[in-house]
Amino acid sequence: MARPLRRGISFGLRHIGYIAVAFIFVLPLWWAIVSSLRPNMEVFADIFPFTPKALLPVPFSLQAYEGVFQRGFGQIIANTMLVAMITMIAGLFVNGLAGFAFAVFDFKGKNAILTLIIISFMLPFEAIALPLYTVTLQLGWLDNIAALIVPSVANGLAVFLFYQFFKEVPKDYLEAARLDGANWLDVLRHVYVPLSIPTLISAGLLLFVFQWEAFLWPLLAMPSQQFKVIQVGMAAFQQQYQTIWNQLFAVAVITALIPIALLMPLQRYYVQGLAGAGLKG
Amino acid sequence: MTRTRSPLLLVAALLAPAIAGLVVFRLYPIALAVSDSFFNMVRGHQVFVGVGNYLSLIADSAFWKSLQVTFWFNLLINPIQIALSLGLALLYVQKFRGIALYRFLFLIPIGVSLPVAVIIWRIMLSQDGLVNGLIGIAGIPAQPWLTSESFALYSIIAIATWKGISYWMIFIIGGLQNISTEIYEAARLDGAVAWQRLWHITIPLLRPTLLFVLVADVSINFLLFAPIFMLTQGGPADSTNVLMYEAYKSGFVFGDMGRAMAIIVVVVLILLVIVGLQFRLLNGKQEKK
Amino acid sequence: MKGANVKTVKLSILAGLVASFFAGTALAQDKTLNMIVIEGGDTTAMQAVVDAYKASHPGIAINLQSYPFAQFFQVAELRLRSADAGIDLVYVDAPLMASYASRGFLSPIDPGIDTSSLVPSALDAGKYDGKQYALPINNSAQVMFYNKTLFEKAGITPPTGLTAGQTSTQGDVDKLASTERWTWEQVADAAQKLTVKDGGRTTTYGFSVEQFAELYQLQPFGESLGTDVIGPDGYTAKGYLDSEAWTKAATYWSELYSSGVSPKGLGYGEGAQLFGNGQLAMFAGGTWNLPILAATGVDFGVAPYPYFAGGKVLTPTGSWYVGVNVASANQTEAMDFASYLTTNAEGTKVWFDALQQLPTYKPLLDTISTSADFDVFPKNVFRLGVYDSLNTAKARPVTAAYGQLQDAFRTAFTDISNGVAVSEALKSAVQKFETAANRVAK
Repeated sequence: MARPLRRGISFGLRHIGYIAVAFIFVLPLWWAIVSSLRPNMEVFADIFPFTPKALLPVPFSLQAYEGVFQRGFGQIIANTMLVAMITMIAGLFVNGLAGFAFAVFDFKGKNAILTLIIISFMLPFEAIALPLYTVTLQLGWLDNIAALIVPSVANGLAVFLFYQFFKEVPKDYLEAARLDGANWLDVLRHVYVPLSIPTLISAGLLLFVFQWEAFLWPLLAMPSQQFKVIQVGMAAFQQQYQTIWNQLFAVAVITALIPIALLMPLQRYYVQGLAGAGLKG
Repeated sequence: MTRTRSPLLLVAALLAPAIAGLVVFRLYPIALAVSDSFFNMVRGHQVFVGVGNYLSLIADSAFWKSLQVTFWFNLLINPIQIALSLGLALLYVQKFRGIALYRFLFLIPIGVSLPVAVIIWRIMLSQDGLVNGLIGIAGIPAQPWLTSESFALYSIIAIATWKGISYWMIFIIGGLQNISTEIYEAARLDGAVAWQRLWHITIPLLRPTLLFVLVADVSINFLLFAPIFMLTQGGPADSTNVLMYEAYKSGFVFGDMGRAMAIIVVVVLILLVIVGLQFRLLNGKQEKK
Repeated sequence: MKGANVKTVKLSILAGLVASFFAGTALAQDKTLNMIVIEGGDTTAMQAVVDAYKASHPGIAINLQSYPFAQFFQVAELRLRSADAGIDLVYVDAPLMASYASRGFLSPIDPGIDTSSLVPSALDAGKYDGKQYALPINNSAQVMFYNKTLFEKAGITPPTGLTAGQTSTQGDVDKLASTERWTWEQVADAAQKLTVKDGGRTTTYGFSVEQFAELYQLQPFGESLGTDVIGPDGYTAKGYLDSEAWTKAATYWSELYSSGVSPKGLGYGEGAQLFGNGQLAMFAGGTWNLPILAATGVDFGVAPYPYFAGGKVLTPTGSWYVGVNVASANQTEAMDFASYLTTNAEGTKVWFDALQQLPTYKPLLDTISTSADFDVFPKNVFRLGVYDSLNTAKARPVTAAYGQLQDAFRTAFTDISNGVAVSEALKSAVQKFETAANRVAK
C-alpha cells in the first residue's frame, strides 16, 4: 500500500519541479507564439494592461507567417543554414586539429600561443569590426559569402574547448595505439574522436549558434544585402516609424525551433544518462 | 613525461589553419584596434596621445562608477549562471517517462537570439506587462523591473541567465558523459547521499568542463552590453552602466575611439587576470596526473 | 593529417564556389553609384527616385544599400570611418551632419547647385562652419493626435484640430495653428482627467510623446520657455540645460510620470500601438503616424504641437539629408544625383509621392498649400506641417558633439521619468555632456 503511494508522491513532486522550470523557459516563447498568431495591431491588445487573454491567440490570424514567407524568409533561413553549416563543419576540423595538437604535444611557445588564443575571444566584436572590415575590403571579399564564413571558422573558444576535453583522454589509450603502430591522425580519428562525441556536439553548437546569431558582421560584410541572414532579416521588422511585431515573433518562433530540431536527434550521443560509455573502458 | 618527442612539423600543420585564421581575422584586427587607444580624434584629426587616454581614465569618475557596476554584475551573474546550468544539466540527464518533452522545452532559449529575447522580456517586464500581470493575480503589486535603480541590474541578469543557461548546459552535459557510473555506484554503496555524490564526485570530476564554461562565460559576460543598450541604456542613474556599454557609447555614439579602446583594453586586462586565476584554481591538480 | 587538410581545402573551394555564385550579378555600366539608405519605406521611395533619375541619365546606375534603422548609424559610422570608397552617397540624419562634416567624412556641396528653392531653416541645418555639407531631402513635423471617443467619454472638450470628414484651406489651418494651439498645461490637465485606472492598473493613459525622452521630441519643451539646450559654441551646457527654463520643462516632464498619466519607457512605435488600441488619449508624434493610425478603427483628430503658456511656440523639425562621401571616386555624378533628389521638381515630387513626408522644396510646399488635393482630412494635416515649418520650426543644435548631447539628454529625461530628482538629473547631464564633448572639441 505505502509503496505505490510514495512512488505516486515522488512522481508528482518530480513533475511539479520540472514543470516549474519548464514554465520559466516557455513563458516568453509562449507569449511570442501567441503574438505571432495575432494581427499586428492586436499584439498589445490584452497585455497593456495584462489580462489572461494575452496568453491566447485571439483573434487568431496566420497573417504573420504568410507575411514572413512572402518577404522571402524561406530563402533567408536557407542562407543562414548554409553559412552556419559550412562554418560548423570547417570549424570542427580546423579547431579540433588545433585542440588536439595542444592537448597531445608539448612544444616551445605553447603557453604563449594558448594565451593569444584566449585573448582572441576576449574582445567584443564591435571593437574589431572596423579593422576586420578593412581586412575584408582588402581581400575583396565584401558581398561574397566567404566574408561571412572564413573569418568565423577559426574560433578561439572552440580551440580551447577541444583542448580542455582532449586533455582528459587518458594517455594510456594514446600510447597503446601508438605501440600498435597507429600514426597520429589515426590516433585522433580512432581514439579521440569516438571518445569525444559530446565534445564535438558542444563545439558544433558553439560554431553554429555563433553564425545563427551573427548580426553586425553580416550587415557590414554584405553591403548590397543580396544575401541576407536571419538576424539581418529580422531587424527589418523594427522600422523607423513602426514595428511589425507579429512577423518579428513569427520569425523568432521559427528560428528558435530549428536549432532544437537539430539538437534533439543527437541526444542519444550526448545524453546517455550517467551510464555513459564515456571513459568507462 | 612519458611522451615521445613531439613531431614539430605535424604540430605546425595541425595548428596552421586555426592560427592563420585567428591571426588574420582576430589578432591582427585586435592589434589595430588596440593601437587606436593611443590616439585621439580632435576636430577631425587623429592626434597621437601616448597613454593619455589611459591616464585620463584615472580621473574619470564615470569610468570608476562603471567599473564598480561591471564587477558587481559579474560577481553575480557568473556563479548564478554556472550553478543553474549545472542544475539544469542534472535535471536534463535524468531518465523517466516524459523527460523528452522537458528536454525539448529546456532547449528553447538556445535558438532565440539575444536581441529577440531582450525584446520579448522588455515587453513582459514593462510596467503593465505580463510579469506584473501574473504577480498581480497573486496579489503582489506591480514592480518597476527595468526602471528602478534597485531592480534594473538584476532584471538584466535574469534575462541574460534565461538566455544563457540552456547553452552552457549542453557543455556541462558533455562533461557529465565522461564520469563513469561505476564511481557513482561505489559511492552509493558507501552510503553517500545525492548531494554528497554531487559535491565529492560530480563537481571535482567535472573540473575541466567547469573551467571551460567558467572562462567562456566570464569572458562573454564581461563583454555583454546588448541587453543594457536595448533595455536601460546604462540607467537608471547609471546603475546598469557596465564598462562595455560605456566603451560602446564613446566609440560609436561619441566618435571617441581613443577612450573606447582604452576602456576595452582595461577590460581585457582584468579578464586575463581573472581567467589566469581560474586556471590556477581549477587546473592546478590536473598537472600532477 | 593529409586527409583532414584536403577536406578543409575542399570545403573552402566549395565555399568560394558558392560565394562566386552569389556575387558578381551587377552588370557593367558607365558609372555605378552606391548609396546607403534606411531599410523599409525610405528605400522604396529612394528606389522610385533612382528609377526616375535613370530615365534621364541612362549612363548612371545607382545601387541602394539598405540597413535596418536601428543599426544604420553604427554601420554608416564604421564604413565612413574606414574611408570606404564603396559608398558614394550618404543618407544623413540632420543632427549627425556636423559630426560627419567635422571629421571630414563629407564633401562640401558643389556651390553650383541652386539651393534657393529650399526652406532656409532646413538648408541651414545642413551647414557646418559656414559651409554646406548636406542637402535636405525632406522635413518632419510633429502634431498631437487625440482620441475623440475617449474625450467624449471623459466629458471634456478636445483641442481644436483637424478631423475626419473635414476640409480646410491653408488659411483655416494657419488660423488654427496661430490661435488655437493648446498649451502643455492644458494637455496635462486633460490628461489627468482622461487617465483611467482599474484596480491599480492603468487601462487608459492620458498622454504620451512618441519618442520617449528624445531630444528631437523634447527640445521645444525648454526652448519654448526661452533657453536653448546648449550654448552657441556647441560644447557648453552649463547655464543652458540646467537653466530655470529647462528645470521647469523637466519638472513638467517628471509630473507626467509621477502622476501616472504617461506610460513609462515606451519604445519606438509602441505609442502608436497604444493609441491605435484606444488605450492612449493624446499622442504627440510625427505626421508619419497618419497612415498607421488611419488603418485602425480609432476616431481621432490632429491638433498642433503644444507649447508652454507664456512661452514661444516652437516645434520639432529636421529629418534626413543627403551628402557625398569624401572617399567617393564619383564626386560629380554623386553631386548631380543629390541635387536631383533635393532641388529638382521631378525628383522631389517622386520622393514626396512615395513617402508622404513634409517637403523642404518650396514649390512643393506651395502645391500643398494651394492644391485642392490637400483640402480633405487627413491630407490637410500637411498644411499644419507647412505652417509649422515656415513659422515655428526650431532646428536641433549644430554641434560635432550631438551624439554626446543626445545621450546625456536621453539619460537625464529617462531618469527623471523614473523618479530621479530634476535638478540632480540635469546637473549630471550637464557634467556628462561637457566632459564627453570636450574630449572631441578641445
